[in-house]
Amino acid sequence: MTAKLAVSGLTKRFDALEALRAINLTVAPGEFISLVGPSGCGKTTFLRIVAGLEPATSGEVRIDGKPVTKPGGDRGFVFQNDNLLPWRSVLANAMIGPEIGGRADAAARRRTLELLKLVGLEGFEHYHPRQLSGGMRQRVNLARALAIDPDILLMDEPFSALDAQTREIMQTELLRIWEQGRKTVLFVTHQIDEAVFLSDRVLVFARRPGRVQESVEVALPRPRTLAIKRTPEFVRYVDHIWRLIEDDVRASVIEEHA
Amino acid sequence: MTAADIQSASRPAAPAAPAAAPEPAAPRAWAASLRRHYLAGLVSIACGLALWEVLSRFVVANPLFLAAPSQIFLAVVSLSASGELWRHIAVSGLEFVIGYAIASLIGIALGLAMASSVLAKQVSQPWISGLYATPTIALAPLFILWFGIGIWSKVLVVILLVLFPVTINTEAGLRTTSPRLIEMLRSFGATPRQIFIKVSLPSATPFILAGLKLGIGRGLIAVVVAELFGSRAGLGRLISQSADAFNMPELFAGVVVLAVAGIAMTAGFGWLEGKLVPWTRD
Repeated sequence: MTAKLAVSGLTKRFDALEALRAINLTVAPGEFISLVGPSGCGKTTFLRIVAGLEPATSGEVRIDGKPVTKPGGDRGFVFQNDNLLPWRSVLANAMIGPEIGGRADAAARRRTLELLKLVGLEGFEHYHPRQLSGGMRQRVNLARALAIDPDILLMDEPFSALDAQTREIMQTELLRIWEQGRKTVLFVTHQIDEAVFLSDRVLVFARRPGRVQESVEVALPRPRTLAIKRTPEFVRYVDHIWRLIEDDVRASVIEEHA
Repeated sequence: MTAADIQSASRPAAPAAPAAAPEPAAPRAWAASLRRHYLAGLVSIACGLALWEVLSRFVVANPLFLAAPSQIFLAVVSLSASGELWRHIAVSGLEFVIGYAIASLIGIALGLAMASSVLAKQVSQPWISGLYATPTIALAPLFILWFGIGIWSKVLVVILLVLFPVTINTEAGLRTTSPRLIEMLRSFGATPRQIFIKVSLPSATPFILAGLKLGIGRGLIAVVVAELFGSRAGLGRLISQSADAFNMPELFAGVVVLAVAGIAMTAGFGWLEGKLVPWTRD
């Protein structure tokens, strides 16, 4: 199987700070990969470089063998803050991608309406963001990224602003949607249990400099339900990853409060 | 978490009927909210007018110094019946509308230029900051000297007073566009032009409207003060000639018309904001 995404020797420096050092990664089509690590480990920077929102200092990112330099329709970005346009309806917000690509025709509109249905927003198409709950706004965020039918979904802590219960619901929703389209997903999160629950593979990042400490294969059967979070296998994965990053997290917490 | 969140979690089952829409208020509730919000204000105005009436009739008791609200009302009625009031309103209104329209167009254009070009901003910033803080209305006599006592000298004063708040707000609105929203558009490969049209301009609209709203009060002041310095007709002229004749009811009539115009236009703008930029309401 050829790689959907291949990252080699990726390094990013912000002046003196080495945010990412020599990241190598190969992702198969349809693979769900999570990136976890303490604050400041560069996982979000990594995602932004893959998105083409930020240039790499050295090394390269290839999608289907072609090097990435700028944003493109093969990648859909789901933001941490939903970044919805407050003056647009749910449908108009979800249509922004096709619109920018100059393909906002009737077919794109039909597809987007289907997607809104898929993410559970049927009946809310003409609502405005201020009328929606946080969970619903993140559904629009996801539908907006899916509306350009990308090969790869890049998700930057999309559920971090939601309360714990809504977050669990959104995790199962995301898996349901993913099972239907089997997009390749890179998912950045702080929540270890979220990463294990969702992923085929969890990349554990370390900080100073940001690098991949370990790649953990999650061999839990799919489809997964929330009940799996209480199985001993699941807990073992979470414990293992937590031990990998514990010292780093302590260090970053102390720094943030210093 | 909403009901729809829970329900749609149980797989593709259709979500419940939309529940998040604000409910239309019942008429009774509407009347109650009217009473809650405006009753105190209305009572306060009524008491103020009554006090004014009593003061001017029984305490000051001298129409040379203070006119009573009832006398002012009668003056408005008679001035409007004779057509004189309408003549003044027409002249002042024309000066205001021409000046305000020109200032809005130039102000928005200048604000756009300053937001999109660093050089344009560096060149114009000191002038705009300086002139905004200067009481340029004091230059009205000079403009009258240059352009005569007709409407154009007043139009110029209106432009000078309205231009700067509009420019400054337009520039600020465009400059403070959320970087996160810009980044969202960039992630879809948007061009700078698309970013401007789809994000910067709509998100600057509330600022531009606020600048235009600020311009109303300043424009009215400009018209009246410029007319006081020299004019053939207009509400400022009405006020100054009434003062010369010690006709207090007519002087106040001019002021009342201006106040009503200012309040009406500001309220109209509030309504327009509700229509154009409803997302800023909460």
